[in-house]
Amino acid sequence: MSDSTDIAVARMRLRAPVIAVVVTLVMIALGIALGGKVIAHQVVSGLLLGSIYMTVAVAFTLTIGVLNFLNFTIPTLFMLTGMAAWGLLSGGYLTLAGRGAWLVALAVGVVAAVAASLLVERFTFRYLKMKHGDATEHAIPLVSSLGFLIIFENLVLIAMGSDSQRFAVPFRADLHVAGIVVGVPQLVSCAMAVAVVAALSFVLKRTKIGRALRTIAENPDTASLLGVDVGRVVPVVFILTGLLSGVAGALFTVNYGDVSPFMGDNVGTKAIAAMVLGGVGSIWGAIAGGLVVGLAETLSIQFFGGDSVAMTVWGLVLVIIVLRPKGLFGVAAIGKGKM
Amino acid sequence: MSGYLAGVLAIFCINLIFAYGIFVTAAAGQINLGGAGFQAIGAYAAGWLAGQAGLPIAASIMTAALITALVGLLISFPALRTRGVYMVLATFAFGEVVAGFLLHTDVFGGAMGMVVPLHVDLWVLVLAATFVTLLMFFLMATRLGLAMRAINDDEDASVVMGVNVRAVQVAAFTIGGALTGLSGALYALNFGFVEAQYFNALLSIYVLLYVLIGGTQTAWGPLAGTVFFTMLPELFRVGGSARYLIFGIVIVLMMALRPEGIVTRALISRLSPRRLFATGGARGN
Amino acid sequence: MAIEPALTLEGVTKRFGGLAVTQDIRFEVPVGARTALIGPNGAGKTTLFNLISGVYKIDGGRILLDGRPIQALPPRKRVRAGLSRSFQNIRLMPHLSVVENIMLGQHTLASDIGSLLSPLAWQRRSKWRTQAEDSMRRAGIDVDPDAPVSGLPYGLRKKIEVVRALMSRPRLLMLDEPAAGLNPRETAELSAFLKSVAWEGLTLLVVEHDMSFVHDLCDRTVVLNFGRLIYDGPTHGVQDDSQVREAYLGSRRVAAQGAGHVA
Repeated sequence: MSDSTDIAVARMRLRAPVIAVVVTLVMIALGIALGGKVIAHQVVSGLLLGSIYMTVAVAFTLTIGVLNFLNFTIPTLFMLTGMAAWGLLSGGYLTLAGRGAWLVALAVGVVAAVAASLLVERFTFRYLKMKHGDATEHAIPLVSSLGFLIIFENLVLIAMGSDSQRFAVPFRADLHVAGIVVGVPQLVSCAMAVAVVAALSFVLKRTKIGRALRTIAENPDTASLLGVDVGRVVPVVFILTGLLSGVAGALFTVNYGDVSPFMGDNVGTKAIAAMVLGGVGSIWGAIAGGLVVGLAETLSIQFFGGDSVAMTVWGLVLVIIVLRPKGLFGVAAIGKGKM
Repeated sequence: MSGYLAGVLAIFCINLIFAYGIFVTAAAGQINLGGAGFQAIGAYAAGWLAGQAGLPIAASIMTAALITALVGLLISFPALRTRGVYMVLATFAFGEVVAGFLLHTDVFGGAMGMVVPLHVDLWVLVLAATFVTLLMFFLMATRLGLAMRAINDDEDASVVMGVNVRAVQVAAFTIGGALTGLSGALYALNFGFVEAQYFNALLSIYVLLYVLIGGTQTAWGPLAGTVFFTMLPELFRVGGSARYLIFGIVIVLMMALRPEGIVTRALISRLSPRRLFATGGARGN
Repeated sequence: MAIEPALTLEGVTKRFGGLAVTQDIRFEVPVGARTALIGPNGAGKTTLFNLISGVYKIDGGRILLDGRPIQALPPRKRVRAGLSRSFQNIRLMPHLSVVENIMLGQHTLASDIGSLLSPLAWQRRSKWRTQAEDSMRRAGIDVDPDAPVSGLPYGLRKKIEVVRALMSRPRLLMLDEPAAGLNPRETAELSAFLKSVAWEGLTLLVVEHDMSFVHDLCDRTVVLNFGRLIYDGPTHGVQDDSQVREAYLGSRRVAAQGAGHVA
C-alpha cells in the first residue's frame, strides 16, 4: 500500500514542474510564431515579471503551507526592500561603496525585509503560542499581519513620502538572441529567482530543518510530540518569507528602476492569485502560477491594452478556490488541508 | 453643525452600516474580506438607478440593498464550501473581481467614475445607521442570533445540537450583503460621485478590522470598532499617515492583549446593571 | 405488534482509509433501557457515537431509531427524530451563558421562523427561558443563569451539557463518558439524576470507563473490542465473560488465571 502512494507522490512531484515548463515553452513558441519579435519581447518581459510573482507567491504559499497563515505583510516586506535601498542610496550613506553602492543598498534592503519579518513573527506567533496554544487555529495572526501591513506602509509614507522614486542602476547590457533583445539584468533576475526557489525546495526536502517544517505543516501538536522545537523552527519560516519577499523586491527594483510605498500592492495581489492558481501550499504550484500570471499580464497588455487580465485572473481564482482548491495543476500541498 | 463635523458624521454612519454588514457573517464565524466588492455593487446600483434610470431615491436605495442581498445569497453557496484561509481568499477574490469589472465597464463610467446627480441628506444617513444598529441588537437577541453565536464558538457541536448551520450562514451572508449594499447606496447618494478605485482591497481590510477589533461576540463590537477608528482620530485631529500608523499599532497590540476585541461577551455581562446589582445576592457567583 | 427497540444497529461498519474501525456491529437498545457501551481504549466507542449521531457517515449496515432508518439523515435531522448526545470533552459554547447554552438545546423545537426571530434574550419570562431554568433547577444546577459558562467548575459544566442534551426532548440520550473527571459525590448525583430522567421513558446509551457508575446506572452492557462487538448482555455478567476479560487483561493473563482456577 505504501509503495503505491510513494509512486503516486513521486509522479505528482514530477508532473508539476513538467507542466510549468511545457506551458511556458508553448506560450513562448506561440508568441513567436504568431506575433514575431514584438510578442517574443513581451514573452520575455512576462517571464521576468512572472519570476518576481513566483518568488512572492512561494513566500505566501510557504507560510500558509506550514503555519496555515495568510501573511499579509509579504507585499510590504517586498516594498521595504526597495524603499530601504533607495533611502540608503539617495541619502548618500553608501558613497564609500563606490560603483557597487546599489548592490550594497539592495542587500541591506533584503536584510531589512528579513528583520521586519522577524518582528512580525515576534508579535504574531511567538506571543500567541504562549497565550492561546496552537496559533495556527486562529484568525489572530491574519489580523495582526493586516496591522503590520498598515504600520509598515504608513511608516514608509511618513519617512519617505508617497512619491514614486527612481532607483538608478549604473549597469546596462543587452544580449541579442535571434533578434530579440534580452536585458542581462532580466536574465540574471530570472536565474536568481529560480535559484532561490530551488534552494528553498532543496531545504524543505533534504535538510533537518526542512523535515521539521514539513512535520509542523502536518500538525504542530504532533510535531512537538515528535521532538520538533516548534518555537525555534517557526522563526525560520519568517526568515525565509523575508528573504523571498526581499529578493523579489530587489529584483523588481533593479529591473523596473522605480520604487514607491505602494510597489508591493499590485505584486502582492498578483502573487496571491498566482498561488491560488497553482494550488495553495504547493511550491511548484506557486512557480507555475507565477509564470502564468506574469505571461498573461504582459500579453494581455499587448493585445487588449491595459491590465485587463486582473479581473479574469481573479475570476479564475474565485472559481478555483471554490471548486478546485488544489489548484490548476493538482500538485500535492506541502501542508495539510487543515481548514 | 459645521460642515466638517457633518462630513465626519456622514462617514461614520456609512462605515457603521458597512461594519454591521461584515459583522453579521463574522458573528456566525465567517470572515468576509470582500466587503468593498459588496459596497461597490450597492453604490453603483443605487447611483445608476437614481441617476441614469430615474428611480426615486428611496426606491434606488431599497433596490440596491435587495440586489446586494441577492449577491450575498448567491455568493454564500460557493463561499461556504470553503473554510478559514480559503474563505478569506475566496471573498478577497470576489472583491477584486467586482472592482475589476467596474473599472472596465463603460456604462458605469469605467476608471472615470460615475457622477450621481441626486443627493440624500445627513439625517437620512443618521436614521439609517440608527435603524441598522437597533436591528443588529435585535438580531443578536433572537434565537437566530443565538445560533449564530453558537456556530462562531463551535460549529461541529452546533450541528449536533440540531442547528441548520448552512442555513444560518446563508442567512448571515444575505443580511450582510443587504447591509453592505445599503452602506454603498448611501455613500453614492451622499457623496454624489463613485469611482471603482475607491472600493479597493484596503477598504475591505479596514472594515474587517473595525469589526474584528471591535469584537464579534455582541452587537456592541462594530459600534465600538467604528467609533474607535473613524470618530476618535477625527476628534483628535490626527490626520494622514500618522492616523493609520496608530491604527496599525493598535491592531497589533489588540491582537496580542485582547484578541477577542474591545467589547466581549464577558465584558457586557460584567457591566450589565442586573449583575452589578445582583452581586451579593443569594446566588452570588 | 411488538414495540420497536429505541435503537437498532444492523451491521454498522466504518472504515478510515481501508482500516475498519467498527465492523459489522449489531445490537439493540430497548425502549427505556439504560445501556452501557464499554471497551478498552481505541475499541471504537466514540466512533460508534459519531456514526449514530451522524458526525461520520457509515460505510455499511443500517441504523434504526424507533424502527426508522436514520443512517442517511444529516445530524440535525437525527436530533429532530429524537436522538441527542453529549461529548467526551465538554463542548459547551464558551461565550454563551449557562441559560443560553441550555436554550441552544431547544433549537429543534423552536426552529420555525417565529421562534427564530423573536428576541429571546429580551424576553426574560419566555416559555423557552422558563423551561431552561426549570431544567437547571431539577438537575441541581444552582448558578446565575446569565453567568458565562467558561468560568464554571468542571463538574458543573459536565452537568450543564447533560441538561442541554435533554432540552431537545430526546427519546434516546447518548452520553460520552459523563462521569469522567467527576468526584464520587458528583458521580452519585449524576447517576441519580439520570435514573430519574430514565424513569420518564427516556432510553440511555452511555459510554463510560467508571465500572461502579456503570453497575449503578446500567442494567445492560455492550462491549466493543477492536471495532467488534464481543459482549451484549446483563451488566452483572460482564466480568465473567472470557472474551471481555481477554480484551481488558490480554490473552496470556486470562490463560494464566484460567490455569490458576483449574489448579
